[in-house]
Parts: sequence; C-alpha cells; structure tokens
Amino acid sequence: MTVQTRTARLLEAQPERRGRSPLADAFRQLLKNRLAVVSGIFIIVLLLVALFADTAIFTLFTGGEARQLLAPYPYDETNFKYHDLGIMERAEDGRLFILGTDALGRDLLSRTLYGARVSLAVAIVASLVSLVVGLAYGLISGYSSTRVDNLMMRFVDFLYGFPFIIFVILMQVYFKALSRRGGAGFAQFLVDLDKSMGGLLFIFIAIGLINWIGMARIARGQTLSVKEKEFIEAARAIGASNRRIIFRHVLPNILGPCIVAETLAIPGYIFLEAFLSFIGLGVNPPTPSWGLMISDSFRALTVRPHQVFVPSLALTLTTLAFNFLGDGLRDAFDPRLRGE
Amino acid sequence: MKRLFVLVGLLALALLLVACPGQQATPQVTKIVETQVVEVTRIVEGTPVVEQIIVTATPPPAAPEPVTLNINWGTEPPTLDPSLATDTTSVGLIEEMFLGLTDLDDETMEPVPELATEWSANEDNTVWTFKMRDDVVWVKYNPSTGEVEQELDENGNPRIVTANDVVYGVKRTCDPTTGSDYAYVLYIVKGCKDLNTTEADPDSDEFKALYDAVGVRAVDDFTVEFTLEYGAGFFPQIASMWIARPQPRWIIEEKQERWIEAGFIVTNGPYTLSEWVHGDSIVLVKNPHWYGWKEFADEAGNIERIFGLMIEEASTEFALYEANELDTAGVPLEQMERVKTDPVLSKEYVNQPINCTYYYGFITKKPPTDDVRVRRALSMAIDRKTLVEEVLKGGQIPANTFTNPLNFGSPAGDPEVAPWALPEDMGGWGYEKAVEEGRKLLEEAGYPDGAGLDILLMHNVSEAHARIAEAIQAMWKSAYPEMNVTIETQEWRVYLKTIDIDSPLEDKPNVYRLGWCADYPHANNWVHEVFNPTEGANEPMLTTDDPQVGDLVAEFDQTTKQAQTASQEEQLELYKRAEQLLVDEIAAIAPIYYYTRNGLAKPWLKRVWGDPGRLHIWKWSIDVEARNAAMGK
Repeated sequence: MTVQTRTARLLEAQPERRGRSPLADAFRQLLKNRLAVVSGIFIIVLLLVALFADTAIFTLFTGGEARQLLAPYPYDETNFKYHDLGIMERAEDGRLFILGTDALGRDLLSRTLYGARVSLAVAIVASLVSLVVGLAYGLISGYSSTRVDNLMMRFVDFLYGFPFIIFVILMQVYFKALSRRGGAGFAQFLVDLDKSMGGLLFIFIAIGLINWIGMARIARGQTLSVKEKEFIEAARAIGASNRRIIFRHVLPNILGPCIVAETLAIPGYIFLEAFLSFIGLGVNPPTPSWGLMISDSFRALTVRPHQVFVPSLALTLTTLAFNFLGDGLRDAFDPRLRGE
Repeated sequence: MKRLFVLVGLLALALLLVACPGQQATPQVTKIVETQVVEVTRIVEGTPVVEQIIVTATPPPAAPEPVTLNINWGTEPPTLDPSLATDTTSVGLIEEMFLGLTDLDDETMEPVPELATEWSANEDNTVWTFKMRDDVVWVKYNPSTGEVEQELDENGNPRIVTANDVVYGVKRTCDPTTGSDYAYVLYIVKGCKDLNTTEADPDSDEFKALYDAVGVRAVDDFTVEFTLEYGAGFFPQIASMWIARPQPRWIIEEKQERWIEAGFIVTNGPYTLSEWVHGDSIVLVKNPHWYGWKEFADEAGNIERIFGLMIEEASTEFALYEANELDTAGVPLEQMERVKTDPVLSKEYVNQPINCTYYYGFITKKPPTDDVRVRRALSMAIDRKTLVEEVLKGGQIPANTFTNPLNFGSPAGDPEVAPWALPEDMGGWGYEKAVEEGRKLLEEAGYPDGAGLDILLMHNVSEAHARIAEAIQAMWKSAYPEMNVTIETQEWRVYLKTIDIDSPLEDKPNVYRLGWCADYPHANNWVHEVFNPTEGANEPMLTTDDPQVGDLVAEFDQTTKQAQTASQEEQLELYKRAEQLLVDEIAAIAPIYYYTRNGLAKPWLKRVWGDPGRLHIWKWSIDVEARNAAMGK
C-alpha cells in the first residue's frame, strides 16, 4: 500500500518535472538572484533610453525629421555663451540644463543619454560578432578531426600572441587612414557607413575581430566534452547526419556557457570603447561617447567635477550591471549550483 | 606537506629569536672612522669618471644652497644643438646657454648687442660686418667637481669665442650633412642654399668648393662678415637666431651628435648644462665666467641653478605650481576663469600678447578644399570673436592676417585685409554677414547649405586643440547645416610628417592646424618663409599652375620676394597685398587668433616676460626667504 502510493505520487510528479525545460529552469533560478534582476531591469531601461533618446528610430521608416524624445536637446547643439553651467542651472534665455553643460555649452544630460547609445551598441554588436564568429569557429574546430582541430587552434594561439590593445589601436589607425584616403567599392561603402555612424562601425569591427578568439576556445572545449556524451553516440547510432547532430544536439548544449561567458565579457567591450575614445581613436566628435566625455573634461576635475562624474557614473553603473547580470546568468546555468 | 609547515614554523621562530635579542642588550659602541677616502667610479655619458669622495663623520659646514629656480620646460627638448633646433623648448634652452651675435630686446624686439658690439652694412645692405667682443670664454660643467670650468685648448690657454666659431656655426647649419630643418632661414646668406641643396658627395672637391663659397668669413679673430643674396635690413635680427650662433668645433668633431649631452657640451652663455635626465628633467647652472654678471650687474638676477621638469600636461604643471613646486607656470584652459577671479592667483597672473598666430591651413590640392570658394566659405564661417571670448577666454585677439601684429610689416586688424574675419567693433563685417557671404560662395561652388561637402579636419593631440576643433566644427555645422566635418587627431611627430608638403596627398586632411611664432619680428619670417611656394615650408601646397588661383599664387610669390629688397614704406604695402592674397583671395589659410601669454609667477619671483623663446633667466631673481616662508621651511 505504502509502496503503491509513493509510486503513484512519483508518477504524478513526473510530468511536472519534465515540463521544465533547461532554459526555463535557468530563468527561474535567475529570478531568485535579486542583484541580477535589478541589473537586468537597469539594462533594459538603458536600452529603452538609448533607443528613444530621440525619435530617430521611427524616422527610419517615415523619413521624417528626428526630434528629441527623452534627451532635452540634440547632443551637438552648441551654445558657446552657456558653457560650463552647473547642475540644475538655467541659461539666461530661461532654458534649463538639468545636469549642466560642458565647456562648449552642450547639454550634459543629453550627451550622456546619447552616449548610452554608443556604449550599448558596442556591447551588443561586438558581443554578437564575437559570439557568432567564435562559436562557429570553436564548434567546427572541436567537432572536426584532430588534425583540423590542431591547425585551427594553433591559429587561435597565434592570434593570442598579439598584444591585444596595441592590435586594436593599430587597426583603428589603419581604419582612420583608410577613411582619409577613401577607397573603391566595398571599402568605400564601409567608410561611408562608418561616417554616418559617427565612427562606430570600425570600433565594432576592431573589437569584434579580436574578441572571438576567447569565445572560440570556450566553444571548442564545450564541443569536445559534449561530443563524447552517450546521446551523441545514440544519435550517431541511429544514423543522424553531422549537420543534424551539430544543430540539434551539440549547439543547444554548449550555447548556455557561451552566452554566459559573452555576457561577462561585455563590460570589457564597453571599457575598451571608452578607452579608445579617451585616447582619440574611438568615435568621431561630436558623437558623444562616455569615454570621449570623460577625456574632454577630466582635466577640469578640480574646477567642474560634475562634468567628469556624470559620464563616469553612467559608465560605472552600466559595467556593474552587466557584471552582476553575467554573474547571475552563470549561477543560473551552472548545474552544480542549481537546486540548492 | 605537514613537514614543510613545521620547517617553516621553526625557521620563523629562529628568525624571531635572532631579531629580538632581549631587552637587556646594550647599544653597541662602534668606533667611527674620522676621515676615509672612498673611490667611486661613475659613468658620465659613457665615460667612466673615477671620483674620490672624502667621507667624514661630521659633515663639513654645507655650502649655502644655490638659489634654484623651479620651472617646467614643457617637454623633452628634441635637441640642444643650435643648428638642429626648431621648437620653442629647444630654442629656449639654447638661448640660455649660447650667445648670439645680436639679441632682441624684451619689449621693442629691436636687435641689441650681445656677442657683437656693433655692426654695419654696405650701401645696399648686402654685406654686413659684425665687430665682436673679445672676452667671451667657452665653458663646460665638470661633473666631478661640480664647478663650471673654462675650456682650455691644447696649449692650456682658455678658449675664447672668436669669429671663426661663428663662421663654423653658420656653415654647419648650411651643411646638408648636419640635416638642419631650419637651414632655409639662412638661405639669405650667399651660397648657403647651394650648399644645403647640393647632391655632391661630402668628400668631393665640388662640395668643399661650395662649403668655402658660403658668404660668411672671419675678417680677423673678432670681426665676422656676411655676404647676402639680396639686401635685407632685417639681417641683424636673423643674426640673433640660434642657427647663426658660434659653436665649439673641436667638441662637435670629437663627440659627433652626442656633443650636446651633459658632461660634453661646451657653451658660452649665462648658464650651462649640468644634468640632463632624459624624459624627466634638465638642470642648468650659472656660468660664473660670463661677462654679463659684472657688466649688467644692475639688470642681472640671482638665479644660480635652474631645475626644469618636462611636464607636458598643462593641468599637471598648474597643480605643481599651486603646490609651490614650480615658481612660474602657464594657465590651463579649464582653470582660466578661476585664476582670473581667485584673490591670490589673479595677482600672480600675467596676460600679454605674444608673437604667435594660431591658424588653420587648407590643403589646396585635396578636394573639396581645392576650390577657393570652399576655402573662403570655411574661413568666413569661423566666429573668431566668440571663439576667443567664450572658449579660450585668455584675452586672445581675433586674427585677420597671418603675420602677428608684433612684427614689422603686419597689416593685422586692417579691415582692408579679409574684413570678414574681423568682428564689427574692429571695423570688419561681423560674423552674420560673413556667413551670408559664405553661403553664397558654397552655393556657387555646388554645395548649397554645405550638402555634399565632406571635410576632414586634423590636429595634433592636445586638449586645447580638440576643444577649438570641436567649437569650429559646431560653427561650420550651424553655418552650413548639411556639411560633414570629421575630426582626426595625430601625435605631434606623426602629424608634422602627415602635413609636410612632400608626404602623399591621400594621407593628408583638408584642413590642418598649426601655430607659428616669430623667429625674428619681421613679416618676411611669416608670409615668405612659411608660405612662399618656392622658398617656404608651403604646407598648403600652393603652386603657380593651380587652375583656379595659379595667377594669384604667382603674384604672391613675386610679392613676398619683392618685399625683401623693397624700402620700408614699400614693404608695408607689399606685405599687405601678400596677406590679402594669402588669407582672402587664395585663402590658403584661415588665421584664427593671435596668442596671448597666460602666465603665472609666484610673488617671490621677479621675472621678465619677453619673447617665448627668450626667457632671459639671467635677469630673473628669487626672494629665497619669502619662498621658504611660503613653503613652511
């Protein structure tokens, strides 16, 4: 009797357990991490701010004029007369500058909000590039024969040997020279695209081109461990094609750890963009980037500290948020920590 | 593992026991050796110098601390060689260590006697004779004694600065093997250009003939004679320049390019080099053998040692000044308002015009700035008045000419030259009218409202330049809303190479930034030596076969050449015409403002504020007690 009821209970409970997919499980786990949730909300808000700083996103479809939605002023509106206003200070013509103005009389709040666009664009695009390239490369390398694997990984090791920052700087110098000289065909198309993006495109390329190598190593390691598992053998035994095995069995199982690693790398990209802009190799002025804003004003730290603190605070909070979210994701995806 | 821990523990215990000999231990009395001679070998610029240091238990009564001036040279000087120097830091240091035939007065900028006591010219100003004084000695700092010693010749007699040293210095600048970037200033001396541009082998007879043919000779030991290509009344001002100074032949030939290092360098000025820590500091010490200390005793100050740092950041320099680590400093842009209003700093603040001009040049061969209408429209849309008043705030003056008003022949502020660059209160058009005209020009050129106009603006890395560039970018965008301006920065040395006339066109920007400071206060040093299409540096790449402005360039070329030999009244007219061509009709450059010095000097420092390249530190004096009191010593 007792045995029967227990079995019945188990049978009742079983369907419920099966209904929880690994992803939903991880998500539930993530929601338990308060810091990660707050960080996630912060990033979503930031994303909305970046999208709706002005109405440019809609004008893409209507061809109309971009107007300010969240940012009080255009980021490049220069009022030489109202330079260096303090927080909550009003100009003589009655306009309010909530966070004051910079040395050329541009509204700090507007520039910081627009700056979120640059930082988040770098975060998303650079990490997508690095994820896609690195994942594909690592997967192929891990799944292929030992010889191909060896060859591909030695190439990655070779790239690892480059001093990373110097390589990015060199690339940026090259791209700047390219855009000065102008090119033909595809190169010119890239140059034009970069100009219309305020210099962002080449930052994406420079950062993305370098960062996929870390991702490739992680992806390869995961693939190696997954491809020896019994369910792969089973799939192979029933005659599944390589393509089916990779896309239906290997990829879904290595995706989690890769996404986690990528999220944790995002603060690095944001910092790298800020650093490049700080040394004058980043976005083209007057496109606002937090790094550029800091480099514009850090010398005036003793006189007008708010000009440095506003972009610095934005940069710090954003990188912190990505770090916390990444931590939360890692905890959620790591099976050893689950169910505690 | 466990055994290892025990071992480490034992060892630590043993150490503790050794370290604490117990409280009863009495201090050990050791006998102090009274005097001891220690031999120390020091390497001074690659040469080992054995020194004997006498060590005594009680130090001998210390010599009074030399009166030290703490300043900032601003950067590592690229050279201290008078023939090679081109930048203000090197020139400023050379000025303290080497005497010229003439010097320039701090206020009037007129040539005054230095090595030469008097000079005269023949009727058409083509032959100049300088009579030199006979009591100037060559000196060297001796690192082992710490003394400045007279340089002796093979016979043990002190070496005197003679006319032959001047001849050697001038010919060395002209000599192509020296590689002087400033030799073109001496092209005025007969034969200098031929020598400097020759392809002949330095050992060939042809080369030697050219070397001997340079128009400078020593009539006797203390008389030097220059023969010029054309008559020039401003030659005594050129004679004051570093490239025409006497140089110590024997040491240059012995040490080659290392002769400028501390311990080798032989000088003749009020100060000499005692220490050069590359990238960090340069120390100069007083040359007690300089005649001026006695002769100009009433003018001379009391500085015995100059400790100069190499800090490039203006804000760091300012912070050191505020901490009393520097006696004099410049004012960084962002501190300008504070310095002017602060009760203490405002009293230490000096603001005065200096002989430099800030300008944007146009590469006239690179589209779209190969169109003169585009160049003029861009120049017109720079609101110079707002820029100096709201961005720079240092009392700078809006510029409508290249030649700074402190030079002979400058038509600066004359509304007949580029009136659109001047604000209304200076007799010009004012910004609004200028922009209106600029819009018309752009429309004519096929860029209505700037549509399709894509300009690359380049400047060397500096916060102040970046701010000015962003301000001008905003001005252009507001005047011609459809245009596109990209700003790019480069490090100074790379930058200079990029905009050099000989570097490939595709690497060049449309607009470049530069400043120019007078080497001698005459318009010839400006319009001719910088922009003459054949004899100047000519960064805008002006050529007489330009399809749009070729004739004007030819006229400009002729005008600046004519002015060199013209009478003084004619020169004024010719230089005005040259500026009209350069700034307005050809629009090769957009002059932006005339510099001012924004300097600070502590109340205990009495200094002269002359030409930026001529500090004349021997005239400065420091009230050491006041400084010590302020620093709480």
